[in-house]
Amino acid sequence: MLAKSSSFSALHEENAELRARLDEANEMLGAIRGGEVDALVVQSADGPKVYALQGQDAENNRFRGEMLAQVSDAVIAADSEERVIYLNLAAERLYGFDASEALGRPLSEIYQSRWPQLEDRAVAKTILDKCGEWRGECIHILRDGREMNVEAGAAVLRDTTGLSAGTLSVVRDVTGRKRHEDEVLVSEVRYRRLFEAARDGILILDPATGKIIDANPVVTQMLGCPDTRLVGKTLFEVGLLTDDGVGHDMVAELKRANQIRFENLPFESPSGRHHDVEFVANLYSENDRPVIQCNIRDITERRRSEEHVKLLMAEVNHRAKNMLAVVQAVAYQTAKFGDPATLADRLSGRIGALAAGQDLLVKSQWQGVEVADLITAQLAHFKDLMGARVLADGPPALLTAEAAQGIGMALHELATNAAKYGALSNSEGRVRIVWQIIDDPKPTFSISWLEEGGPRAEASGRRGFGQIVMGRMAEAAVQGVARITYGAGGLAWTLTAPLDDALATAKVGP
Amino acid sequence: MKGDATPPTLAQSLRAAAATHAATRYVLRLYVTGSTPHSIRAISNIRKICEKYLEGRYDLEVVDISQHPSLAAGEQIIAAPTLIKKLPLPLRRFIGDMSQTDRILLGLGLREAAASTSPTGEA
Repeated sequence: MLAKSSSFSALHEENAELRARLDEANEMLGAIRGGEVDALVVQSADGPKVYALQGQDAENNRFRGEMLAQVSDAVIAADSEERVIYLNLAAERLYGFDASEALGRPLSEIYQSRWPQLEDRAVAKTILDKCGEWRGECIHILRDGREMNVEAGAAVLRDTTGLSAGTLSVVRDVTGRKRHEDEVLVSEVRYRRLFEAARDGILILDPATGKIIDANPVVTQMLGCPDTRLVGKTLFEVGLLTDDGVGHDMVAELKRANQIRFENLPFESPSGRHHDVEFVANLYSENDRPVIQCNIRDITERRRSEEHVKLLMAEVNHRAKNMLAVVQAVAYQTAKFGDPATLADRLSGRIGALAAGQDLLVKSQWQGVEVADLITAQLAHFKDLMGARVLADGPPALLTAEAAQGIGMALHELATNAAKYGALSNSEGRVRIVWQIIDDPKPTFSISWLEEGGPRAEASGRRGFGQIVMGRMAEAAVQGVARITYGAGGLAWTLTAPLDDALATAKVGP
Repeated sequence: MKGDATPPTLAQSLRAAAATHAATRYVLRLYVTGSTPHSIRAISNIRKICEKYLEGRYDLEVVDISQHPSLAAGEQIIAAPTLIKKLPLPLRRFIGDMSQTDRILLGLGLREAAASTSPTGEA
């Protein structure tokens, strides 16, 4: 080769290269002799063959390596400087490194650890140093930034002298399981909140025994004892069922039909108060385990309200029929008496008077009508004269619906008559409407219409419908007596009735 | 530098050498046999050398010939652990657990022969 070199420089380089190769060969021999190698490679006809120099140890290492390679969990070993010295196939997959790339690297380049609590890292290290092994959970942050929940076990690797030579970790990705656990936890919190905040009482029973497994606060309140005392008891034992046999039948029926409903179950609370409850039981499956959920709703108030509505409906129906009958009678009588030319006006006025009384009753929810309000409504056409020529005076008095209707119609007729022929037909006349409650000798209510300063009033020869309204109809409404007198200054009308028949307040008491 | 009409000054030569070193990418391949003691140490030691002296400009491939002996073909591997410097040329081999840092640095061309106590390897 020296003979082929064309220059001194080339010869020098070639010489240096040969010296280097020779040094390499010497080093290799020295290393083999000095025990610095673990294996020799021999070229054969079938390709290179590797011969381990550590005999049984090498074979054991190979065997262990093969075993670890088969493990589905990630296995990663690091030396005392926390550099990766081994990782199996599962670890390569988990961390996205192949062994060639990862070996020798600091462990922190393969993943970073994040701990639930700041002090957990130090605690884990202390346990590992002290006990030689540690198990727990933490988060590994991969090189692409992804976070992975892991369940890990770490053990200290020791050399032949027993000194720590590194760490062997077995890591399992539990991200999916963790997510599922979190979802279950969130779901549990959510449904526990619904369970506890529900307005219905909820009981969970074991169908096998019929005994309570869980109870929400509404039930504990309803039954007057804490859930700790309810759990383990049957519906009969806690007083929800009066017969234990019914409980057994209920469970049997639930197994057949999956649902049972008692619309109106009587129940007596510990305080002795009667309740009506709606009881609905369903058979569900929880993770293949059957449970009975009972929803218990206190419907006492609802039933009371329903009864009230029913009563009101009947009352409205009754009153509507009455009103139609009154309208019919008014229409007939109005047509029978008086000038046909004024029929429409008279009929309209009278129906208006009925409607005014009706409005007041609706406003008070049929509880009654104050006399003063009735006067104001019936004399709405004369509101300019109120307080001047029409004076109303009397104590607070709530008329019954019937009395309000009868007296209202009478006031309308009196006002119409006064405007046409009486004290309100001129410019000086006045009307005083006074009412009072007299206790002695019997509780009595009386109301008077007294005209002054009007033209002389005289009884007409025939009895018109107005007089029937002021007389017979008013009397019938209050079971009272109506008196009409005709004087120099106008007409005087007085209706006297037993207090109970005229006033609603007298019926309900003080 | 060879064939220049005017020989460069010493300072120019040093600067040029430093620039060349700084830009040269090293391609290394380490042949090991599983997790045997020398192999483990060799991996750790060469990785530390690379991180310290070749940061950001090296490719190190670790080849386990205990699992795949055929990977040792073509490289004239005789023993393991063996490190081969494939680039920059010339190709160099190192045997053992790579614990003789000075010798490795010298062989990789990262330290001048005069500064080293060991005269082996390429300058």
